[in-house]
Amino acid sequence: MSATAPLPAPQEAVRIEHLGKTFPSGVRALDDVSITVREGEFLVVLGLSGSGKSTLLRCINRLIDPSDGRVFIFGTEITALTGSALRAMRRRIGMIFQQFNLVKRHSVLDNVLSGALGRGHMVRSLFLSFTPDEVAFARSCLQRVGLLDRASERADRLSGGQQQRVAISRALMQRPEIILADEPVASLDPALRHSVMRHIEALNREEGMTVICSLHDIDLVRRYASRIVALKAGRLVWEGQPEHLDASTFREIYGEDAEPASNSSVEEEP
Amino acid sequence: MSTPAADVNPVHKAVLRLQTVLLDTILIASLLLMGELQWVAFSGRRGSTGLLMPAEEILKILDYGVLTLVAFVIATAWNLFYRDIGCSPGRAWVRGEPPWERDLPWQHTLRGWFLALFVEFSFFTGWIITEVNLATFLTKFGKAWDIIRGLLHPSGAVLDQGLILLVQTVFLAFMATAFAIPIAFFVSFLAARNLTRQSLTFRLTYTVVRTIMNFVRAVEPLVWALIFISWVGIGPFAGVLALWIASIASLAKLYSESIESIDTGPMDAIAATGASYLQVLRYGVVPQIIPPFLSFTIYRWDINVRMSTIIGFVGGGGIGYILKPRVDLGEWGEVGTLVLLIAITVWLMDLISAKIRERIV
Repeated sequence: MSATAPLPAPQEAVRIEHLGKTFPSGVRALDDVSITVREGEFLVVLGLSGSGKSTLLRCINRLIDPSDGRVFIFGTEITALTGSALRAMRRRIGMIFQQFNLVKRHSVLDNVLSGALGRGHMVRSLFLSFTPDEVAFARSCLQRVGLLDRASERADRLSGGQQQRVAISRALMQRPEIILADEPVASLDPALRHSVMRHIEALNREEGMTVICSLHDIDLVRRYASRIVALKAGRLVWEGQPEHLDASTFREIYGEDAEPASNSSVEEEP
Repeated sequence: MSTPAADVNPVHKAVLRLQTVLLDTILIASLLLMGELQWVAFSGRRGSTGLLMPAEEILKILDYGVLTLVAFVIATAWNLFYRDIGCSPGRAWVRGEPPWERDLPWQHTLRGWFLALFVEFSFFTGWIITEVNLATFLTKFGKAWDIIRGLLHPSGAVLDQGLILLVQTVFLAFMATAFAIPIAFFVSFLAARNLTRQSLTFRLTYTVVRTIMNFVRAVEPLVWALIFISWVGIGPFAGVLALWIASIASLAKLYSESIESIDTGPMDAIAATGASYLQVLRYGVVPQIIPPFLSFTIYRWDINVRMSTIIGFVGGGGIGYILKPRVDLGEWGEVGTLVLLIAITVWLMDLISAKIRERIV
C-alpha cells in the first residue's frame, strides 16, 4: 500500500510562508516555518508538546492570527482575509480537536448540524433550526462514522472515541476540502485510536480531502502519514517520507533522552 | 537595597519611597489619634453638658493636624534609620520584608510590636466609639421580653391581610427578577473579560459596564426604593423597580463570572466552521451557561423575596408595608403573625430554590 495516492497533477492546497507567532506573553511559538501541502496529501506534523504544532494548525484557519508570514489556501491568502471572506474560507477547512470540543449539552445531531453554520441562514440558525436538506445530510454524515443510532442523545453521554467521531462528522458537514486535525487521538484510549484515525484516513483516501494532522505517537505516524514535517521549539527541523524516519531523526526531533514510543520497530524498518 | 534587581529608574524609586512614607504616616497618625481618643476618654474630662464626654464629642476635639505632622516626622525618621531599628510596616508592604527580618517572630521586630499595638488600640477605640455597654446588655432584658412574648403569641387579626400581601411580596420579587433577566443577560456578555478582549472598543465597554455595575451594587436596594417611590409613588411597583435595578447589577455580575469560566474549546470549534461571532456565542457559549444562569436566577428570586420585606418598610409594597406601622404602635402579637408568615415563606423559597438548583447543576 503506497501512502501517496497517485494523483495526476497534485495542486497545492496549503502554502505556508515564513510563518511566525509571538504570543503576548513573549513566547515565540513559531519561527520562520514554511511548508507546502499538495492536494490529497496526508501531512503529519510531528513534535513534542509545546513545539508549536497546535499554533501552526490554528494559524492555518486563523483561529490564531500569526505575527508574521503568510498562509495561502488554494492560492488565496487567508492571512489577508477578514470578516465574511475569512468565514467563507474557513467553511472549506474542517477542524478536529484533541478535546473534541463538542457542545456537550446539545444532541449529537445538533452538534453535527453546527458544521453547517457557515452557509446557513443566520437568524434561523440562532434558533437551532435547519433545513430538511441539511438535517438529511447531517444524518448521512453520522452514518459514515457509524453513530446514526445515537443522533438524539446528548453529546456528553458518548464515550471519548464516539465524541471524536461526532466531531469528525461535524467537520464533514462543512463539506471541507482540507481537514486540520490537532492531536485527534491523544486523549483517547490507545485501543480506540485506530478507529478514529481510520475515519480520517477514509476522508483522505475516498474523498480526496487534504489532511494536516498533528500526532506524536510514532506508530500512528508511520501508519497514516504520506509525508511528515517535524517541529522543535517552533522551528521546522525535519521534513520527509515516513519510511525515512529513523531512530536518529527521531532523537533529533524529540531530544537525546527520547525513546521511540512503543517497541524498537523504528530501526528495523527499511 | 539588597535585592539583586534593584530599581535603576529614579522616578520609580521616588514613587516607591513616597508610597512607603505615605502609608507609614497614615498608620502612625491613626495610632496616635486612637491613643489620644483613649487618653481623653479615660482621663475623665467633662464635656459641654457637664457629663463625661461622649465619643462623638471627643472625635471633634482631636488634634488631627498636629498628630499627622508628628506621624509624618516619625514615618520619615523610621524609614531613614530602618537598618538600625527595623523595617517599617509601610516599607514591608511596598517593597517586601528585608531578608534579615524575614524569619523573625513578630515579637522580635519593631514592626510587629507596632501592629500589635495598632490592633489593641483599634479594639478599645471601637469600644468607646460604638458605646459598648455590657452592663445594660446583661441587665435590661425586660422590655425586649414583651416583643418576644408577642411574637410567640401571634394574633389572627392580620392573618387575612398578611396572606394577601404575602402573595404580593412573592410576585413583586418575581417581577423584579423577570424584568432583570433579559437586561442582565445582555449586559453580562459585555462584562465578561474573555469575550471582550478582541478590540479596544470592547475592552472599553467592559470597563464602563463593570464600573456602572459596581456603582449600582454599592447602592442599597433600600435607597433605590426611596428613589423610585418619589418617581412612581408608594406601592408595589416602586418595590419592583428597586429590586429590578439591584437584581440587574447582581445577576450581571454572577452571569458574567460564569461566562468567564466556560470552556473555550467549543467556541474555537464553532468559529472554525466559518460561523459568525453571533453564532459562536449562540452555540459555543450559551449552552454552557444555561445551567448556572438558571441557578443564579432562582437564587436571586429567593433573595428578592427576603429583600422585599425591608423594601416594604419604606413604602415599596409587599408585607413590609403593614409590618412597619404595627412595629411603631407596639402591636407585638400582630407583628408576630407577620414575622411568622415571612419566615415560613423565606424558608419555603430557600428550600425550593435549593432543590431546583440541585437538579439543574
